[in-house]
Amino acid sequence: MLFTLAAASLMRHRARTVLAVLGVAVSAAMLLDMVMLSSGMRVSFRTLLVSQGFQLRVSPKGTLPFDTEATIRDGDSLVALLHVRRGVQAVSPVFGGQLHLSTPRGIVASSALGVIPAVEGDYELVDGRQPVNSNEMVANDALLTATGLRVGDTVRAGSGYDSQLRSLAGERALRIVGRARFVYMAKEQKGAALPIATFRAMHGRESDGRISLAMVRLAPGQDAEAERAALEALFPRVTVISIATALKGVDERLVYFKQIAVILGAVSLVVGFLLVTTLVTVSVNERIGEIAVMRAIGVRRWRIVAQIVLESSAMMLVASPLGLVLGLVTARYLNSILANFPGLPDRIDFFLFQPSAAWTSLGLLGLSGVLAGIYPSWRCASLPIATTLRQEAVG
Amino acid sequence: MMILPVLCLALTIAAPQETVRSIAIDARLAADAGLQPGDRVSLSAEPGEAGQLAVIAAIVRRSADPAEIARGEYKIRLHLTQLQALLGYGDRVDRFAVATTSDGVIGDAAARINSAAFGFRAHRSRDIAVQTSATFAVVSRFHRAIGVITIVASAIFLLCIMLLKVDERRRDVAALRLMGISAATIVRGVVLEAAGIAVAGSVVGVGIGAVTSWLVNLHYQNVYRTPLRFSIVTGDIMLLAVSLSLVLGLVAGWLAALRLVRTPPLALFGR
Repeated sequence: MLFTLAAASLMRHRARTVLAVLGVAVSAAMLLDMVMLSSGMRVSFRTLLVSQGFQLRVSPKGTLPFDTEATIRDGDSLVALLHVRRGVQAVSPVFGGQLHLSTPRGIVASSALGVIPAVEGDYELVDGRQPVNSNEMVANDALLTATGLRVGDTVRAGSGYDSQLRSLAGERALRIVGRARFVYMAKEQKGAALPIATFRAMHGRESDGRISLAMVRLAPGQDAEAERAALEALFPRVTVISIATALKGVDERLVYFKQIAVILGAVSLVVGFLLVTTLVTVSVNERIGEIAVMRAIGVRRWRIVAQIVLESSAMMLVASPLGLVLGLVTARYLNSILANFPGLPDRIDFFLFQPSAAWTSLGLLGLSGVLAGIYPSWRCASLPIATTLRQEAVG
Repeated sequence: MMILPVLCLALTIAAPQETVRSIAIDARLAADAGLQPGDRVSLSAEPGEAGQLAVIAAIVRRSADPAEIARGEYKIRLHLTQLQALLGYGDRVDRFAVATTSDGVIGDAAARINSAAFGFRAHRSRDIAVQTSATFAVVSRFHRAIGVITIVASAIFLLCIMLLKVDERRRDVAALRLMGISAATIVRGVVLEAAGIAVAGSVVGVGIGAVTSWLVNLHYQNVYRTPLRFSIVTGDIMLLAVSLSLVLGLVAGWLAALRLVRTPPLALFGR
């Protein structure tokens, strides 16, 4: 009975109901997008950081990994000290810099990482094998495309290029033994990796023992935050970054997107709420006489309220699946725009769908649907029956 | 002058008779480290090294550079030779800035510089600005997309409201029709009313937009500690917003009125 009356009431003004459902669907889509945006970056970045299994990053004091060209002097000693600490399972030192490749297409510059292939956590091999020998390297697709080289080719490479003399500094022949996908590099960025000893030797003696970054894998059950604090106290010339501190840094840098997500999400919810409230209020005002008659024949006040709340909730709930689909489509489009951020790793998503995001949006919409119906329904169910009937009858 | 993003800086007390060179630091560093003009600091390329003494001669305001927004680094300005000595950089420099006599000769000057020798390349400042503001270009596209979604939602909202407003006057319209007022006149009346509402709403909207823009700038300039203006309300933007609102209002009013006049007057009376 309750459902039939609510459905009949909604069907009475079809155009109005359809428009309301459309309006709420757009608001729902926007709300879902903003819920996805507010948590997506964080979750995506966290997934990226933990994907390689390293919980701590050690970088030069006051810097984030590869944020500057600064390096840690005596990095090898630091790595040796880290190795002997209880609770440290593995340490992966990285020395970063530029690699210049002499190719038939000319000199091509690329970002390069000197690593220990057995413990590296910066790339995933797509094809081929690790560069275990001193004259070997792996490259990503961007570099292979730019140079026209393939796995198995040998190339002249240097740590620098003097364009006036047209000569490579620290030149040596490197054989490409694998194709890699670098986890933290931007998708358009050309990248290569080679043994750390080789890369440092190419940079000359002043690079001996230096590292740009050390990634630390802790034994299961170790408290990463406690270890981070202990390492910072032990090595005052470095900054130790845990997943939590890295995420805090990301939060600070991307606070704009978080805030815009909260503001636009709230606005969407308010717009949806106002739309439904307005429609329900007008609809209720139009049938005050009808409601008074129902009250006069003995229909209880709570049933009237329930029927009207049901109407507003139904509008919200019918619009929700439509909004969900619309939201996913727009999120995909908006994500493709933000994916063009310069320097953003390929795997970072701003809009990441999580079931919790959909449930949150649905819950908020359902709640606002109920709230939208409560005031007009209570107001009309509380009107004096006799007076209302007389006014409606007289016109 | 040259800028080095990361330079170790330690507050120290120097002997008063020692001659030290002056540096300028940015306001963010001054605030965070509690430094002021006249303070002496020690500069070194790496932590723990014996540094060079320098006196803070000035505190400079950050430039409104979009490329620096999300970067939390501090900036110190030193004399070129001072920084070269500190880094063991020899007489090398990263770049030169060249001022031309007029904008018209920039292309010619760049071409002449590029053909003079190998080893360097001249770029127009405008091209570099485009590259470094790529982040903001992406944000701008994102805002535009959000704007389109907002417009769609507003259009539906406006259509709903107009439909309700017109529906409220079913009996009035029925009476007018029975008196012989033409459907066209009623449509014109409703559309005029919709235009009035749209214009009034736009004026209020522009006011809200201007206040919001001011608040956005106030907030984000404080968050990112930059003089950059994040939100600008220009005449063009206002014109676009008002025009869009007017068009949406007119279309919504026209559609709602059309629906009303197509219904027979007696049906509007509920008979």
